Amino acid sequence: MDFYYGMAQLIGVHTLLGLSAYVVLLTGQVSMAQAGFFAIGAYLAGMLTVLAGWHIVPAMLLAAVASAFVATVVGFPALRVKGLMLVVATLAFGEAVRIFWFNFDYQIAKGNIQVGPLGGEGFKQIRYFPENGWSTADVALFIWAWVIAAMVALWWLDRSRVGSVLRAVGEDELAAQSVGINLTAVKVSAMTIGGFIAGLGGAIYAHYTTHIEHLNFGVILATFAIAYPILGGLSSVIGVLIAVIFIQGFLVEVLRFMGDWRNLLFGALIVLAMNVRPDGLFDARAMRTLRRLFGARDA
Amino acid sequence: MSDFWWDVIDPIQSVLDGVMFGSIYALIGIGFTLIFGVMHKINLAYAAASIGGAYASLAAFQLLSAPALVVFLCAAVASGVIGYAVYICCFRFIPEHLPLATLMASVGMLILIDEVVVHATAGMPEPYPAMFDDVMIDLEPFWVRGDLLMIFVLSVIAMMILLYILYRTRLGIATRAVAQQPAAAQLCGIGQQNTNAVTFIITGALGGLAGAMVGASVGILSPLLALPLTVKGLIVTVIGGLGSIPGAIVAGLLVGGFENVFQYFRGVTERDIYVMLLLFVFLTFRPQGLFGRMSTRD
Repeated sequence: MDFYYGMAQLIGVHTLLGLSAYVVLLTGQVSMAQAGFFAIGAYLAGMLTVLAGWHIVPAMLLAAVASAFVATVVGFPALRVKGLMLVVATLAFGEAVRIFWFNFDYQIAKGNIQVGPLGGEGFKQIRYFPENGWSTADVALFIWAWVIAAMVALWWLDRSRVGSVLRAVGEDELAAQSVGINLTAVKVSAMTIGGFIAGLGGAIYAHYTTHIEHLNFGVILATFAIAYPILGGLSSVIGVLIAVIFIQGFLVEVLRFMGDWRNLLFGALIVLAMNVRPDGLFDARAMRTLRRLFGARDA
Repeated sequence: MSDFWWDVIDPIQSVLDGVMFGSIYALIGIGFTLIFGVMHKINLAYAAASIGGAYASLAAFQLLSAPALVVFLCAAVASGVIGYAVYICCFRFIPEHLPLATLMASVGMLILIDEVVVHATAGMPEPYPAMFDDVMIDLEPFWVRGDLLMIFVLSVIAMMILLYILYRTRLGIATRAVAQQPAAAQLCGIGQQNTNAVTFIITGALGGLAGAMVGASVGILSPLLALPLTVKGLIVTVIGGLGSIPGAIVAGLLVGGFENVFQYFRGVTERDIYVMLLLFVFLTFRPQGLFGRMSTRD
């Protein structure tokens, strides 16, 4: 049973990561910086619970706020550019964050061992859950409470005026600007929300793996972050969840018997999926069909 | 000589080495910028295809024990073929108005190429042939590494051939026409799809040569080289100005020298932070890049 709880934890954390990229993608911006915000959340929350002895919830919230703040600061200069330039700028920012933690040492003695992040060796012993006697099931429930909260918040956001504004910017910047939408404000807000969610995800990630190092937060993770919403489709938050379950659940776990061939299949499947369904698995038409199936009126 | 001079000479030496190695970044940057210029799309699989081509050329080295220069040419040819495959898989059939789909497909291709390489070699680094790696040219007080000089010269030759193709042949006119005005080019009877495919093959060959140069200068090939090369190539593209070939060349040499001098002062683990900072300085103060026009901003 623990295996399934572990799986649920992994899917939950990756869903948060995917959601953080989803918000930014709604405004038409491809941000490869999500892994960087994720790393900031992970290291800060780990330091708060391990070094400062905080409870996990305030530690997570503070780490997420810090990530959101960094996202705002990065957002202003980075969002002056678009398209390829933004991809490169955010990619570079994410890598810079990773290298920063690679060179970051801050250890204090706790009992007879040294704890804290130690450069290339990473940050070991983030043992908040085991120390406080949380079982795997508790942790899985805890993670999913956050995931559901984030999904409901984003779903509600999507139905509100804010969602329309975000999508308007994503569809056509010129048209959005001409009806009086402040592009910079919208994009930086999306980036901030994305940074907050990524920070939350990172904070949880640090605590359930108990050991983080800079290599966990590289370009590959940034790629995964944008892959979930793009593969799942930008029509709904459900798409992100489906894509995470498909990749982390089906590709990684169910196909485990295929061994290393899995990774080959992974690349090939992305190429195939984008050729067959360039709008994502759940595009607008699929969502309409789903709504009809469940008897709801077209929104 | 006084101590002061030695303090100056070592950094200059590392700038020299870096600039010569930077010609590889320039080649990769040209590939990104050319594809962007023609299609207004990013091909993230480009650097992986370059490394893949270099790996394919290892067959010529290990099975036929061909001379190094032939191996390099094989890398260019193999990478051209991979470039065509990337075009067919990621760009040909995906609708043009969905840039996210092509971006993601090229990421998938990057992973696929990387994994094929890992499978073929069991993930172990493979030795790669070099030329003149035992030659040291003594220019008192500096040294020039023979293999780096060879890389530099070969890269310059490849760039000259590319510029000749682009500016002196019908193929080049077609490529530039499609880059400028796809619709108008099509009205003049230039096949857009064909031109795009040829661009991918040419840039692929260029990238294959760059991949081979990486192998020759480092002495080994590893699938781990693909991602850093992608990042550096993209940075070079942006610093040089999107769509500008001279910009990519200058920016490649600049980034090469810049990173090597910081490697000298701050060590290999920190040097990339300064390269990213250089990028942010450019994005803030000169977002159109060194040679880019404002209109090429996308």
